[in-house]
Amino acid sequence: MNKNWVLSQEAFDALLEWLDSDREQAAVKYEQIRSRLIKIFVGRGCADAEDLADETINRVTSKLDQIKKEYQGDPARYFFGVANMIYMEYLRRRLPPVSPFPPIDSNQVELEYRCLERCIEQLSEENRYLLLQYYGAEGRAKVDHRKRLADELGIAPNALRIRAYRIRMDLQECMEKCMARGLE
Amino acid sequence: MNPNIDKQEMRDYLLGTLEADRRTQLEERIVCEPAVYEELLLVEEDLIDQYLSDGLSKAERHQFETHFLITAERQKNLRFGKLLQRYLHSHPVLVPAAAVRNTEKHAPATRFFLFPLGTFSKGPATAMAAAVVVAFMGIALVCWNSLKRPAEPSNVVPVQLMPGTTRSVGIATQRVHVPPAGFDVQLELQVTNTSFHKYRSELFRENESLKRADELKVETKHDQHIVPFTIDGDMLSPGDYQVKLSGVLDSGQDELIDNYAFRVIE
Repeated sequence: MNKNWVLSQEAFDALLEWLDSDREQAAVKYEQIRSRLIKIFVGRGCADAEDLADETINRVTSKLDQIKKEYQGDPARYFFGVANMIYMEYLRRRLPPVSPFPPIDSNQVELEYRCLERCIEQLSEENRYLLLQYYGAEGRAKVDHRKRLADELGIAPNALRIRAYRIRMDLQECMEKCMARGLE
Repeated sequence: MNPNIDKQEMRDYLLGTLEADRRTQLEERIVCEPAVYEELLLVEEDLIDQYLSDGLSKAERHQFETHFLITAERQKNLRFGKLLQRYLHSHPVLVPAAAVRNTEKHAPATRFFLFPLGTFSKGPATAMAAAVVVAFMGIALVCWNSLKRPAEPSNVVPVQLMPGTTRSVGIATQRVHVPPAGFDVQLELQVTNTSFHKYRSELFRENESLKRADELKVETKHDQHIVPFTIDGDMLSPGDYQVKLSGVLDSGQDELIDNYAFRVIE
């Protein structure tokens, strides 16, 4: 790929069209592929996983005309193949890893905690109950407790796990927004 | 969970210990199969929680710290996990005591008794079993109180307290629910100064000293240094409390380390 190649709106539209003829569905697929590529690069120990995922997408997009002619199949699988090549190139130019534990300001932690408290208070009663029950149990009792909670809510254990995860993600997002607003 | 997903393999993958061939196969599935990707996200959170609750082996902890935490995103998730854990420790959750008795005989129980309402819609046999357990618990509690025996280790509620959590510095007071009768509360006072051999702690309510303990020792829990200070749960009624923690010098003199404020609520 030409190093000066940049993702134009036109090229991006063509990529979306390749992913799905419905533009909204295509946008969803694009985001899914990008997040999964990031996970793959992270799984291989790449600190700059997002950049590598974007590089993969750019590489595919820049050759899209040719790919459309020659490749039949799930686009995600094609991205995976290109990601493998990008990873090999990354290994050849790899920079030393950054320190995994940057110092944390204790005042910042307290502000984060206040935001978390506030966000938990904003949860619906049902979600707050689920969060506290799901993550609250500890030790060996945890597994049994979660099974009982799933029974109580009338859902499968894995559905409970996914619901708890989504509440957790919403909370984390709420806390980050709260921090960005500076608690107001 | 998708039956074709090997959870252990996914853990190995996240910790960077999965062999190359298996890794490539799994990665392809992560990219192409939504259920596998979703499972990956869940296992990631499980790993973070296990790390924070000392549930990983020594080798896994090493991999977690050197491999898993390589990105800012995961470090951020870990920080959030810590905050959530702190919140949960300050808001103990009710868990069926029978479950605690069955599975944690030798470990401190951290939670209390609550039957899921759904238990009673599962048929007469389940309801009867639940009723027997309730009756057993009631009798046990009455006997417990009448005998005035000291609480067993399983009847201790841990409450983690951060230092300096006073309103004067604009930080929210930590809240603790009134414990049920017969339960003790172990205040886990977080400390950074671990240079003392002994610690002295005193609990106050509106400047009135309620309890003092000497000869306390620092311990490590979830990567944090704490000084455990156990108090009788009956001592705590709704209101504001303060704990003063001092280090004891070799001369026997105190040296104030920090204050810890908390509010007891119904």
